[in-house]
Amino acid sequence: MTAPLERPAATPLEVRLGMGSCGIANGAEPVWEALRSGAREAGREGVVKAVGCGGSCHREPLVEVVAGEDRSLYTHVTPEMVPVILRRHVVPRGWPARLRWAARRLRDPEEPRPESGPRSLGARIVLENCGEIDPRSLEEYRRRGGYAALEACLDPARRDGVIATLTESGLRGRGGAGFPTGRKWALARRQPAPKYVVCNGDEGDPGAFMDRLVLESDPHRVVEGLAIAALAVGAEEGFFYIRSEYPQAVRRIAEALRQAEAGGFLGDDVRGSGERLRLAVREGAGAFVCGEETALIASLEGRRGMPRLRPPYPVESGFRGRPTVVNNVETLANVPWILRHGAAAFARLGSAGSKGTKVFALAGKVRHGGLVEVAMGITVARIVEELGGGVAPGRRFKAVLLGGPSGGCLPAELAHTPVDFEALARTGAIMGSGGLVVLDDRDCMVDIARYFLRFTCGESCGKCTFCRIGTRRMLEILDRLCEGEGRQGDLEALAELADRVGRTSLCGLGQTAPNPVLTALRYFRDEFEAHLHERRCPAGKCAALVTYTINDRCIGCTLCAQACPVDAIAYRPYEIHEIDDAACVRCDACREACLDDAVEVH
Amino acid sequence: MSARRGPGRWLRPLAAVSGGLVVVLTALLIADGVAERLRVARESDRFEALEQAVLSDASRAEELAGEREVQTARTMARQERNRAFAWTLLAASAAFLAAVEGGRLLGAPGAARPASAGPQGEALVQLRPPRAVAAGPPAAAGAEPELAFVDEVVAARGASREAAIPILQALQNHYRYLPEAALRRVCELTESTPAEIAGVASFYARFRRTPVGAHLVQVCQGTACHVAGSGPVLDELRRRLEIPPGSDSDVGLRFTLDPVNCLGCCSLAPVMMVDDRVAGRLTPTSACQALAAAEAGP
Ligand SMILES: Cc1cc2nc3c(=O)[nH]c(=O)nc-3n(C[C@H](O)[C@H](O)[C@H](O)COP(=O)(O)O)c2cc1C
Ligand code: FES
Repeated sequence: MTAPLERPAATPLEVRLGMGSCGIANGAEPVWEALRSGAREAGREGVVKAVGCGGSCHREPLVEVVAGEDRSLYTHVTPEMVPVILRRHVVPRGWPARLRWAARRLRDPEEPRPESGPRSLGARIVLENCGEIDPRSLEEYRRRGGYAALEACLDPARRDGVIATLTESGLRGRGGAGFPTGRKWALARRQPAPKYVVCNGDEGDPGAFMDRLVLESDPHRVVEGLAIAALAVGAEEGFFYIRSEYPQAVRRIAEALRQAEAGGFLGDDVRGSGERLRLAVREGAGAFVCGEETALIASLEGRRGMPRLRPPYPVESGFRGRPTVVNNVETLANVPWILRHGAAAFARLGSAGSKGTKVFALAGKVRHGGLVEVAMGITVARIVEELGGGVAPGRRFKAVLLGGPSGGCLPAELAHTPVDFEALARTGAIMGSGGLVVLDDRDCMVDIARYFLRFTCGESCGKCTFCRIGTRRMLEILDRLCEGEGRQGDLEALAELADRVGRTSLCGLGQTAPNPVLTALRYFRDEFEAHLHERRCPAGKCAALVTYTINDRCIGCTLCAQACPVDAIAYRPYEIHEIDDAACVRCDACREACLDDAVEVH
Repeated sequence: MSARRGPGRWLRPLAAVSGGLVVVLTALLIADGVAERLRVARESDRFEALEQAVLSDASRAEELAGEREVQTARTMARQERNRAFAWTLLAASAAFLAAVEGGRLLGAPGAARPASAGPQGEALVQLRPPRAVAAGPPAAAGAEPELAFVDEVVAARGASREAAIPILQALQNHYRYLPEAALRRVCELTESTPAEIAGVASFYARFRRTPVGAHLVQVCQGTACHVAGSGPVLDELRRRLEIPPGSDSDVGLRFTLDPVNCLGCCSLAPVMMVDDRVAGRLTPTSACQALAAAEAGP
């Protein structure tokens, strides 16, 4: 209990607070102020440090106290808890202050209990530094071996080995398609200069935030990855294309580029080697299709983000008609690690065809949302159950959505599928970029299919007829089903359209747009049929097909009447309430408000 | 003392006067009670003595009747007076309590304001009455925007086609939307043709061609937020703000609702961003409260 007073002052102590945009959204700013003023009071301002997010977004604000090997993690920290935490670990400067703190510790409330550390299964490669280092400090990144790989690449003799090492490691693109990165770079290397490299930080999959977190929490790692890519393929100029919904990521990368330039890792003469390297940030403007590499390049050129036919692939003709390598954020974040630890260390992890780790953004009905990093080959069920803590008590895990609008659903029965490009593709879903949205028995698969189609229909750039109009026809059918107005033959028409859209579209957006519908039809056909033939939504989600009623468990507490936004429930204390079905807009507010499970949905 | 205006001004003297009255009246009543005891003892002695005297001397019956008369009248008068005192005392206590409580509610020092409104807290959630437009920066509808900024941006970014998107982004950050006149100026200054600029400005979802309300509310409609119920949140906001169908802003141009695809805070779903603050784990009610708070200012 008295350990802090006895600890030799030489042990470096660090109090870290997660200040990624998720942390800030969870209220980290007042906690930061409290930490700063507490540390100032102790005369040890240097001990507090703002780090990025380690992935445990569901328990932020997170304070971690690190003293050598000792780590204590405090979750859901409030400004009031801060002095107690500080008094527990920090030894103030000077005897008067020490005595004062010791006296106050006697009166401290029950001390907050530290919890266990970050979550991963297998290994931590991409997230190695996330939540550990100050993302705004080049020094700290270097202390952890940062930029060593880049410096090694400056030696022309070793540069040739980079592509071989990557090929040997088996690294495949994490942007969705899984193209071997070594091969892509080798293709680009053979092309004539000038060439370009681009980091794809568009992260279009709604419900995924792996790239945001890495860009915010460990920006130098991605900068180093892109710089190595440029050196390896012989490019002198590169871009970060980051979506505008991620302002903090844009700021962090811009700052990291300035620092790297000041440190000589970028610029006209990289570390005295004579190499030229210029990297810049460009913000997206809110178009999903710009995640597709040819559309992204069109957008970089200042045009409408329309994909074009491939081949020629960007590695032959891309930005300004020159050879261009486009890589995903996570792909690039793997590169420095592989070069530092060797291809074999990377290839030891994972399955036969998929090496290394994959970062997933766990969201949806899972209890512990956030980022997790798992070695490839681990099953989806383990991710959901062990890292995500499963679904809420009383609910049933139904399916996961993988790969967003381009992916599909994986039903709970198939959750034993390993995380592996080929194994997942066989189920009809895809690995995707890492979005993993968990659904429970209250989610309707027809509604989900409609949601994704509405998304792709809205984001279609309009170039291909089937993608533009076919998705609209599909959406109309799904809208009808959800409204209870399905017609005979709708399901067949849906499957037929899905097939056509997939086969006649030029880019990945259209080719993959039918996936969510096809997988939902394949695994949950009974739900589609219930909507069509019985005009019933088994999950109780589709507004037009359900009615809200109040059963006799109602104790007349009036909470539902207060919650109702359209006054469809008359206010009658101590009586069983009633819902006026004609006025009800099915907003679910009454069911959420009810403490006695008295609101039923049929 | 903060509440020195309006009715608050009278509270203090009222409390003083009524408080004083309460003290005085209570004292009077107690004093009267004591005096009464002494008097009753004295008078009943006298009355008994007279009764005894009448038994032996009938001529003193007159005197006894007179004494009875006097004593009865005195008691009646006293009761009358005390009743008046009691009523006044009650009224004064009520006035005193009201003055003190009223002072607390109006925010006298040390007094807590009523806790933030509950689910039915209409005062906080009420978003309806359209007030005059709180004009956002230079985006006031109708007014011609100043265009010097366009020249600055183009000078900084260059006139090539490749710079078109960064230029439009800078303009949108400045004007909060893309005014027609500014776009025309961009065409004049850069290599881009009007068709190209119009094409780019209409292709990307972040570019707005109409003025934006005083507060921009980005409501996430990503997958995680969808399954967590962002649809009802958006519906409720539209209903409360009485946004006409086909529009994204309320009539008073106070709020503009902008559905976006993912704000990257999916573990807080459903999420929205009011100006540059993220609000998470929303319900329809808490979303309305967040807007009301944004309108009330920081
Ligand atoms: C519609 C569509 C959207 C895409 N969105 C993204 C994205 O948001 N981020 C990304 O890295 N790749 C995205 N891609 C994949 C890219 O086209 C490209 O394959 C990838 O950036 C290559 O990087 P990698 O080899 O490192 O995976 C998308 C593809 C399509 C067809
Ligand atoms: S889905 Fe809403 S923040 Fe990601």
